[in-house]
Amino acid sequence: MENIKYVGEHLLPGQLGHFFTILAFVASLVATVSYFSSVQQQDPLKKASWLKMARWAFFVQTASVFAVFAFLYYIISNHLFEYKYAWQHSSRDLEVKYLLSCFWEGQEGSTLLWSVWHSVLGCILIYTSKKWEGPVLTVISFAQACLAAMLLGIYVFDYKLGSTPFILMRQDAPDSPVFMNPNYLQFKQFVDGNGLNELLKNYWMVIHPPVLFLGFASVIVPFAYAIGGLWTRKYAEWVKPALPWALFAAMMLGTGIMMGAAWAYESLTFGGYWAWDPVENASLVPWLTLVAGVHTLLAYRSSGHALRSTFFFFIISFVFILYSTFLTKSGVLGQTSVHSFTDMGMSGQLLVLLGLFSIPSFWLLIKRNKEIPKIVKEESTYSREFWLFVGALVLLVSGLQITFITSIPVWNKLLDFFGLKKLFNLEDFAPPTEPVFYYNQIQIWLAIIVATLTAAVQYLKYKDTPKGTVMKKLGWPTLIAVGITVLIAWAGRIYYTNYGAGFLVAIYLMLFASIYAIVANFGYIFVVLKGKTKAAGASVAHIGFGLTLLGILISSSKMEVLSIDSMGVLNGYFTKESGQNSRENVMLPKGLPVQMGPYFVTYRGDSVDAADKSKTLFIMDYEKKARLEDEPAERFTLYPDAFLNIKGQEGITPNPDSKHYLTRDIFTYITAVPRKDVVTDSTPYQEHVIAQGDTIYFSKGFMVLNNLKTSPEQKNYHPEPGDIAVGAEIYVHTKSNGDFNLRPVYFIRDSSFQSNIPDSITPLSLAVRFTKILPNENKVQIEVKETQAPMDYVVMKALVFPFINVLWIGILVMIVGFVMSIRQRIRR
Amino acid sequence: MKKTSIILLVVIAVCVAGMVMMVGDFSTYETFATARKKEGKKIHVIGALDKGKEVVYDPAKDANYFSFFMKDKSGEVTKVVFNGTRPTDFEKSTELVLTGKMVGSEFHCDKILMKCPSKYKDEQTAYSAQKDI
Repeated sequence: MENIKYVGEHLLPGQLGHFFTILAFVASLVATVSYFSSVQQQDPLKKASWLKMARWAFFVQTASVFAVFAFLYYIISNHLFEYKYAWQHSSRDLEVKYLLSCFWEGQEGSTLLWSVWHSVLGCILIYTSKKWEGPVLTVISFAQACLAAMLLGIYVFDYKLGSTPFILMRQDAPDSPVFMNPNYLQFKQFVDGNGLNELLKNYWMVIHPPVLFLGFASVIVPFAYAIGGLWTRKYAEWVKPALPWALFAAMMLGTGIMMGAAWAYESLTFGGYWAWDPVENASLVPWLTLVAGVHTLLAYRSSGHALRSTFFFFIISFVFILYSTFLTKSGVLGQTSVHSFTDMGMSGQLLVLLGLFSIPSFWLLIKRNKEIPKIVKEESTYSREFWLFVGALVLLVSGLQITFITSIPVWNKLLDFFGLKKLFNLEDFAPPTEPVFYYNQIQIWLAIIVATLTAAVQYLKYKDTPKGTVMKKLGWPTLIAVGITVLIAWAGRIYYTNYGAGFLVAIYLMLFASIYAIVANFGYIFVVLKGKTKAAGASVAHIGFGLTLLGILISSSKMEVLSIDSMGVLNGYFTKESGQNSRENVMLPKGLPVQMGPYFVTYRGDSVDAADKSKTLFIMDYEKKARLEDEPAERFTLYPDAFLNIKGQEGITPNPDSKHYLTRDIFTYITAVPRKDVVTDSTPYQEHVIAQGDTIYFSKGFMVLNNLKTSPEQKNYHPEPGDIAVGAEIYVHTKSNGDFNLRPVYFIRDSSFQSNIPDSITPLSLAVRFTKILPNENKVQIEVKETQAPMDYVVMKALVFPFINVLWIGILVMIVGFVMSIRQRIRR
Repeated sequence: MKKTSIILLVVIAVCVAGMVMMVGDFSTYETFATARKKEGKKIHVIGALDKGKEVVYDPAKDANYFSFFMKDKSGEVTKVVFNGTRPTDFEKSTELVLTGKMVGSEFHCDKILMKCPSKYKDEQTAYSAQKDI
């Protein structure tokens, strides 16, 4: 192996990349030790020199991380397929805008992205955090060392530490005979890469991961401040600088999660914007606890209560970030999520990472628990801090429930590990059979409490509120919210009984709670703050939160499937199951309008995408009308696309197209197309001997032989001199697809050769031929064939999501609110 | 006792009660034989596609009828009916996780989770392609 001289490989970028990974690892270890010593050291001179060294080390690690990023990008963008990462995730025909998506498709790339953001945040903190630089950067440098270790890919005694993105194809599978050939790069499988997963070819996939990972990375800052506070025993001072960072982290993480939701919504890969998939849950939980931490922190600043819970929330948020990394990257989710990464043999390392941060942090918190200042006097029930604390607890419960269920595969592993499974003869637990409803039925109650608190708590004052004033101020918002709720429930016909009356009550309550949150916070801005926007950040964020909940509630309870297939209505439609198991796919033969809700949809044909040749576009015409023969009130065309049988796959990878309205979105996507390789049409013709005026019935209607004509005209019949030709004029009527005319021709050529020209109606898959004249009986023989498999068709699904824009507007408003709060907190 | 302590205790009690309830409510992975005993209840069954038997999806007849035979962990082969279209790359799956219930002798499922040899199909195609040389 070693002595083969390979041709055409570019080894330098990989070697440099690997070198800088190691340098980043070493430099961040140096930075960790130096920062640690600078905090522990009392002598100001020594302290300063440690600090100087630490800074240099951190800058070196930052530069190294950027260099690693640059080399990996160089490899991908230059299509150096001798590298496994480039081969696995990219291909030559990939559009430039998606090169970054392949960067984060793999585990190593996403870890690198996380590390890049840590470096950026670390550099900002070096210049802004002043006396907190030492403790905060110790934590971040240590995290950087851990992340770099995940990219090392070197063996430490038999254990492979990390996985490097710079591994060569031939190093990955050294035993493969192909690598005995020095010219292996010229083989066809190395000329082009495997390419990016088709589902990820979406612009959201270019921007969602960087934003999400910025959110992930910034959760470490409030965590690092909290640890710094515990470590240096400055229990009160860390709170002020940590608050804007906590807000920033909550904003970025929330935005990143919802960008992922927007991607899921547009590509429908999760069947909507949120599916309670483990990978989604894993990133939501830290957001919940972080928001809880922000609220207890505010309570502490104004009342002195809830400092310990603030420590707890910031620590647990970061622990949950690491736990979500463990869940998505270790392969433990295997049977429960198709969206997580597969195991790369790093689960042990990921567990160690989780332990390295969570055990010392909680140990420190418990050890210093007694020293943390607290107020002995109990808080009043009429105080804001009391209810902020309650709200934070509800958020924690919400996060714990999600984690508990998402971790089912982990529980299985743990039970197995401790031998409990054998002991109690347990079977593996499975995730909920109906995850969406399972989570919704619990989370909706927590959301009702949180939304109601969001509405009411701002009207309370810190420490104590004079009795009576609360009701006076809250009275109007409450009444208005009740009014709007009744109006929306009645006018919007919110009547979702799929899961019984109890759940419907919850829906009405949540409708009220979310509207209450919106109205009461509006009221707060105008009545209490007198329209002063400077201090209104929190209220604006709360309005956004209320709108988000409202949008979730309306769009999911009113989501509708247009493409309900009424075929086979009698067998199965009225059974007990049919309510839940609706038949959501409809087959559309080419050119045949099919009714779906208020629309008639026609499949016009397909064409190949101009930019990406492997993609097929399907042309679907929508016409809004009550009956087929009416003039359409509205007409539009959608172009859902799909990758057909790519990369040796059998089947399609579809991508929906949608028509966006202000109040609803109509989605269309292709779920199946005919297999081009099996075109067997063996259906025989059925013979009918009929006279003029007789009728033949077929599955979709009937046909009448109106007339027999000599010298017929038909586009496929080209008369020659001496032909004796007769054409049949057949009128075809169908129940649902309108009327047609058929003109099959029978002829005798050269006075002996009998032949015929059939005629067909493609959309009905109906073919008719005229095969014999029986002059004695004054009858003719007509043969009819209905093909079982039509020539061309698509199977599609059409969905309507109403008022989804309320959700997106809510998210935007929430982001604006966060930005306002951050500005306000930095200025103070 | 302080109010916050009482609330904390209540929350912890609710959480523990909730956990116990949730654990009791957890579904498990079944075989067709145990599923038959719980006819009508929704459960998970793990198994593999029986490649010897026919796989039916004919949209011209019914766009929402997909049937195949699956061999569960105990080796029993049962007909499975899915209300939907045929999933991409179905025949290449190495393992199937079905969610649904027994109806008579058939298993009616509304969710099929497939495990393919490799999630983003990498090595698989690479090294199978090498055999062509």
